[in-house]
Amino acid sequence: MKNQNLNINQEYKYGFTTDIESIKAPKGLSEESIKFISNIKKEPSWMLDWRLKAFKRLKTLKEPNWQKPKYPKIDYQDLYYYSAPKSSSNKPKSLDEIDPKIIETYKKLGIPLVEQQRLNGIAVDAVFDSVSVATTFKEELTKKGIIFCSISEAIQKHPELVKKYIGSVIPLSDHYFATLNSAVFTDGSFVYIPPNTRCPMELSTYFRINASETGQFERTLIIADKGSYVSYLEGCTAPMRDENQLHAANVELIALDDAEIKYSTVQNWYPGDKDGVGGIYNFVTKRGICKGKNSKISWTQVETGSAITWKYPSCILQGDNSVGEFYSIAITNNHQKADTGTKMIHLGKNTKSKIISKGISAGFADNTYRGLVDINEKATNSRNYTQCDSLLMGNKCGAHTVPYIKNKNSTSTIEHEATTTKINEEQLYYCNQRGLDQEEAVSLIVNGFCKEVLQQLPMEFAVEAQKLVAISLEGSVG
Amino acid sequence: MIENYNFNIDKIPNLSQEEKSIRKKNLDIFFQSGFPNKKLEDWKFTDLNSLISKNFQKLTNIEKFNIDKKLELLNNFQHNYVYLINGKMNSYNFNYEEKNKIIIDNFNNSNRNVNKPLNSLNFLNDALAIDGFYLEIKENYKLKKPLIIYNFFSNNLKDVIISNKNSIKINKGSSVDLIEYSLDDSNNCFIKNTNEQINLDEGSNLNYFVLQGSKSNNFFYKYIKSKLKKNSNFNNYILTSGLKFNKIEFDIELNDDNSNCEIYSALSLTENAHQEIKTLIAHNSPYCRSYQVIKSVLNDQSKGVYQGKIYVKNQAQKTNAYQLSKTLILNDKSEFNAKPELEIYADDVKCSHGSTSGSIDENSIYYLMTRGISEIDAKKLLIKGFLADFLEKVKNQEIKMLFEENLERQVNGS
Repeated sequence: MKNQNLNINQEYKYGFTTDIESIKAPKGLSEESIKFISNIKKEPSWMLDWRLKAFKRLKTLKEPNWQKPKYPKIDYQDLYYYSAPKSSSNKPKSLDEIDPKIIETYKKLGIPLVEQQRLNGIAVDAVFDSVSVATTFKEELTKKGIIFCSISEAIQKHPELVKKYIGSVIPLSDHYFATLNSAVFTDGSFVYIPPNTRCPMELSTYFRINASETGQFERTLIIADKGSYVSYLEGCTAPMRDENQLHAANVELIALDDAEIKYSTVQNWYPGDKDGVGGIYNFVTKRGICKGKNSKISWTQVETGSAITWKYPSCILQGDNSVGEFYSIAITNNHQKADTGTKMIHLGKNTKSKIISKGISAGFADNTYRGLVDINEKATNSRNYTQCDSLLMGNKCGAHTVPYIKNKNSTSTIEHEATTTKINEEQLYYCNQRGLDQEEAVSLIVNGFCKEVLQQLPMEFAVEAQKLVAISLEGSVG
Repeated sequence: MIENYNFNIDKIPNLSQEEKSIRKKNLDIFFQSGFPNKKLEDWKFTDLNSLISKNFQKLTNIEKFNIDKKLELLNNFQHNYVYLINGKMNSYNFNYEEKNKIIIDNFNNSNRNVNKPLNSLNFLNDALAIDGFYLEIKENYKLKKPLIIYNFFSNNLKDVIISNKNSIKINKGSSVDLIEYSLDDSNNCFIKNTNEQINLDEGSNLNYFVLQGSKSNNFFYKYIKSKLKKNSNFNNYILTSGLKFNKIEFDIELNDDNSNCEIYSALSLTENAHQEIKTLIAHNSPYCRSYQVIKSVLNDQSKGVYQGKIYVKNQAQKTNAYQLSKTLILNDKSEFNAKPELEIYADDVKCSHGSTSGSIDENSIYYLMTRGISEIDAKKLLIKGFLADFLEKVKNQEIKMLFEENLERQVNGS
């Protein structure tokens, strides 16, 4: 009884400055909370029906447990599935309140002060926002007919596109976390590139003004119409302050005839402390379909954060001559765990896929590559090339490779290679001899090890990612 | 499910009441899950349960056979032998060897510990196993001639499951060349479920060859648990083309420094044959080496599967482990699945794997055709070359010749 009183008092204290801020969905996973989310977003009824269908399905599904990293049971009834943006009184008021370790990392990455504040949710003064690059970019995009907005906005303004494509790559019933996301997703990005258009700039969530609070169940939908091209960047090299422990996002990509989508991710969420306490669970479903002829989807990811990363950005190569690519760096240090890889499903003729995965494991971490290459009997003349390399630092960590290879076709070729080694002593010695200290030498060698993947990143990301690789491994040698 | 099978433990001879009750418990555990299906990770590519329900009616462990045929032995090949008929030891002959160096007996008389069951087939084996052989080679003895384990199956095994257990122990400093040679006289469909344990002591060598003497329409499953001590070598050569269904599961522990294990397989599959090789090689100690090369040629609607796992414990530094699976797919209806897996916890190691699958290189065929060789012969030549390269590793010339003949027969499709 005492506690309840206390809570009421607290809400009074902070809330009710505006209507939005006091709104919170009822706790737990239920039809009410889903209706609540849908209602607050003023969604049309078809969207609510879709969510409820997902929820109904969710009740029949079980949480998967085949993955390598195990985690304590998540109590889904103990989560809030929607909460409005926090009032400014809840947020840190200045950078002095932020963990000095994070600030140090910012300095190393060379992130400007204003950006640092923004990343931590510090109320940035209005001047910064109004001159933000985002507004200018948005005009240019509109001119070309490119739609780039939040998914909630798209549901309102472009229902025909959303209705047609949402759930077409990751069906409602796909698996536990994907279905959970379908039922309760809060926000995310929506991109549509009209036919024969080349998106003039790299699109990034970072430019979308209201993207700071997308919450834990993000949903992204990118459609590249015939002959178009888009490069999309997700995430940021800087560590993010985040209070949600579970992240179950869904990302769907659709490439029609001759279209190309390039999706780059840099993920550096809170990995927990040195002893493995806390940290984010990053359970994301990412899947693209090369629906049209000659289409191409390319995933590039640099995964350095999160306590547990569990995701397999995949490509369904349905159109003839379509191409799927996957470039990945996964770095795990301390007690971090990663179970990541890709699926390449070849359905169309002459389809090609390429997988380059680099796993680096240090401290007490576990790093798993798990992937599937499946060449269907109709996918004649298809090709796959896979390379998975793992680097181990110390004998307390683990590196694992679990590839599944299926070939049902006599004209198709699959090649798979994997190696596991440690950093070459001779290379280290050579670097030391030239005056680099141990840490610099390791960073240089590791960057060389990852080069093939780093090269795939857009320019501005690549430079930061290189620094990030070095920082993630700090303290792992000695 | 129970009503689909006719398993009767009471009819297995010479069992005490206590043994019967243990076996009944194992049978109950088997019935909880039945034959393995695709839902199990280890059987992801092989749905044995549906294969069995398609091919068998009222499977039973009770067999009635009387053998009046003279034992068939390999001619022109000097060897010792152990003759098993329908899984039970019938006779043996070690005329080439010193008598006091070899112990051979029925498995049941040897009081061996059995392997810990891992899957439902192991439990079924524990419940129904009839017998098998126990072979021990005493210290510092090298067998003068190869030993052939004949596996003969009589022609009246309809809807029967044969379960047996074998055990081989090679003591310090001894070496054996062992050939498992299967002869199938059966017209009816049966299943064989074998559980084998192999223990290699310090500095011992075992070359284990598996050869198929005749085509067979039957289902074979074999689980091999092997423990290796210091400086020992365990080499496997698998040539089992011609079986309708075959799964060999290796569980090998390299428990001491410098132990070494190699697995080579060369299979040419036709019709609706289904063969799977599954390996788990655990490197538990430093300086061990493992080497696996799995080659398959797939014709018609055949299916080849390779599931290999290398596990390296954190103290197993300086490990050298290698896995390679190469497959030629000759028909669009055939299928190859592979899962070459690495699980590594030590950093100073050299572990790698490779897997390729595809068709025969067109350029090579063209090259041979320009030299006046017909397309069919060119293909045969290339297939033979593809499969035969492991023969170089076979040191015993007589065995090598036996293998070459067998391989030739396979490639020519007979």
